[in-house]
Amino acid sequence: MDHVAQNTAVHFDTLQVDAHALPVHLAVKLFNSGLGAGITRAPRFDVTSEDLVPPPRLMPAWHPNWATPRTIGVQFADVIEPTRSGSAMSSPYPLPSPLDSDSAILPATASRPRNRNDRRTRIDVPDTALSITDRLFFLLQPPIESLLSGQELLMPFEPFPFQYQGIAWLFSRSCGLLADEMGLGKTMQAISAFRLLLRAGQIRSVLLVCPKPLITNWQRELEMWAEEIPVVAIEGPSPRRRMLWEMQNIPVKIANYELLVRDVAMIGEDDFPAFDLVILDEAQRIKNRDSQTNHAVRGLRRQRSWALTGTPIENRPSDFVSLLEFIGAVPDHSPSDIRQLNRLARDFVLRRTKDRVLTDLPPRLDRDELLELNPAQALAYRTAEQDGVVQLSDMGESITIQHVFELVLRLKQICNFDPLTGQSCKLDRLAAEMEEIAESGGKAILFSQWTRSLDWMNVHLRRFSPLIYHGGVPSARRDDVLARFRDDPDCHLLLMSYGVGAVGLNLQWAGYVFLYDRWWNPAVEDQAINRAHRIGQQNPVLVTKFICRNTIEERIDRVLQQKRELFRAVLGDGDVSNSSLSLDARDIFALFDLKAGRGEQLRSIQPPGADEL
Amino acid sequence: MSDPAADSRTFRLGFLAALETEDGAFVAGLLVTNRYGRPLEFQCTSPVRPTRAQELLYGETLRPFLLGELMGRALLERLGTQPDLLVTDHDDILDLRNHIAIPMARIETQPDTATAGPTDAPPLGRVRMGRRILSIHSAHQDDISALHHGATQVAEETDLQEPLERVRQALAETL
Repeated sequence: MDHVAQNTAVHFDTLQVDAHALPVHLAVKLFNSGLGAGITRAPRFDVTSEDLVPPPRLMPAWHPNWATPRTIGVQFADVIEPTRSGSAMSSPYPLPSPLDSDSAILPATASRPRNRNDRRTRIDVPDTALSITDRLFFLLQPPIESLLSGQELLMPFEPFPFQYQGIAWLFSRSCGLLADEMGLGKTMQAISAFRLLLRAGQIRSVLLVCPKPLITNWQRELEMWAEEIPVVAIEGPSPRRRMLWEMQNIPVKIANYELLVRDVAMIGEDDFPAFDLVILDEAQRIKNRDSQTNHAVRGLRRQRSWALTGTPIENRPSDFVSLLEFIGAVPDHSPSDIRQLNRLARDFVLRRTKDRVLTDLPPRLDRDELLELNPAQALAYRTAEQDGVVQLSDMGESITIQHVFELVLRLKQICNFDPLTGQSCKLDRLAAEMEEIAESGGKAILFSQWTRSLDWMNVHLRRFSPLIYHGGVPSARRDDVLARFRDDPDCHLLLMSYGVGAVGLNLQWAGYVFLYDRWWNPAVEDQAINRAHRIGQQNPVLVTKFICRNTIEERIDRVLQQKRELFRAVLGDGDVSNSSLSLDARDIFALFDLKAGRGEQLRSIQPPGADEL
Repeated sequence: MSDPAADSRTFRLGFLAALETEDGAFVAGLLVTNRYGRPLEFQCTSPVRPTRAQELLYGETLRPFLLGELMGRALLERLGTQPDLLVTDHDDILDLRNHIAIPMARIETQPDTATAGPTDAPPLGRVRMGRRILSIHSAHQDDISALHHGATQVAEETDLQEPLERVRQALAETL
């Protein structure tokens, strides 16, 4: 709208005012505020999603700079994992194939727990582990049962709890003497322990030294308990043996004592390969600390030393000291103080006896058969003894142990059978008992000191299809003999010599043992008996010792009975069942009433030295 | 495509446990094993006593903080061998899962879990591993797949509680 001012004249009485109209043009624009429409229009909203604020956590959001705790660390050696053939990853040891439980050789299992995870045998921390990292290493090892369970390390059958303890004990020790009574599975425990060490990467090389006849036995046991571990027996001509010694990729080597002595001399002690672990089986072989064998094994460079024997003391305390020297428990040429040895035994020796750990093992029934010599035999015996004693007495002070010993042997042989007439009270009794054993389908083992006696019996006991196993049987044929004795139902008798058959063999299918003549040492006799009375035996074992009444045999038996106290003194009470001391020179002389001189000048003849047999 | 055999050989379990000393300090240990329980590496802390400031600041959450965030994480950082799965039997330690990227599980404490038959199905959200039933942190549900994988790696007769006992025994040795 335009606004126009009009000119106006206004007169007042005293003042005249002229008014003029001026044109005023104001541009006025009208705009639509929308207020009116907005009031009536429906509101419009846009909907969008937005993240919520995270919920507060329990911890404060403020993080002060707290000091980081200090830590201690232990690294373990690389575990060697098994692998099946064809696997992408390579491993030194292939995974063993699971054994068919029906085909495995199963011992008596009546009282054994079926689930090894129900038990936990922890590895003890040895006293020699002083640093915290060493102690943690042992503390953090899993129970032996879980190490040996299921997938990782297959076992052909479930070990006994005391065997788990033995494995754990060996595993944790760089030096140890496993002195379990024969038949408790020292071999299996040693194999399982070094198998675990190999698989844990703790050791890489093992040397196993044993008597020559036991090499095949060890190979068999290794195949059963650690079939994935490559093994080689050192044998053959010297160039081949030298090559075998130098082979790096075979972790376990087996050698016999004699060959080891030769090869150490051939290669030289300094150039001889070093081993992470050296195991001596039948370690009593090094009891003489001055012997070449002792020197050879003690000169071996090694990290760990284990000795296995059921008879750590065969003759005298120094036997035991020799073993302790080998494992490094005492310095060389240590004294044989009984009290100190007893303390060392607690620290370095693990010994269990069958009556304590195998409560379900069928009993061993011992009986001494006191026999009267047959007439011709008796005559031959009396003549030989009287003549022999007279001859020895005439020799006076010049007599030696060898002279007396020869008489003892001659008399013992006559007790076995009269060489002139062939009469034998022992053979008569044996034949009678064998009739009964064969009738019931049983099997018996017979031990004698003389291969000649064994051969003689072989001829006279044909009807029982006897088999011979002594030093005259070639090594290659010995396993066949044992297999036939086990498998042939017509073979009821195995004739063995103490020297070859007493150690290491498993003959638990025999229920009868005859000791046709007595060995000088009950420990050796017990080793022989325990070929049959061992794990796996299902029936009581009847042990018959033939002793001819009023003869040298009866006198020897009496002396040996008095000799068990030292073993008890060193290895503890209650452990006198199977080991003792053998006869020494003084004992041999005392078997006869030897006197030198005449009339009132008569005096007893004593041995010139204290040489043992 | 991964080789299952190789995968099994490289599968690692970590077992984390702690002890409280009589004077109120804590030690924690972490054991790494292969699937058979064989030890590969162990790390443990020196005793850690909470400060007054920590007690005031963390209040009820002090133990999860100490055992999980502070000590557990320190142990993991020191490890040369990293586990695929961390196992504990304590809720306070399970809290460590909030601070790390490794799957964690806790062993259920119901007395019947160790004896339940292998064919008995565990409750929802839990997985049977060996002879034990394991659960995961509620805020980390994805860990259930790691548990299922772990269950295929360990033997049926494996007892996952046993390595934790070893850890505690080792910790006691260090005190």
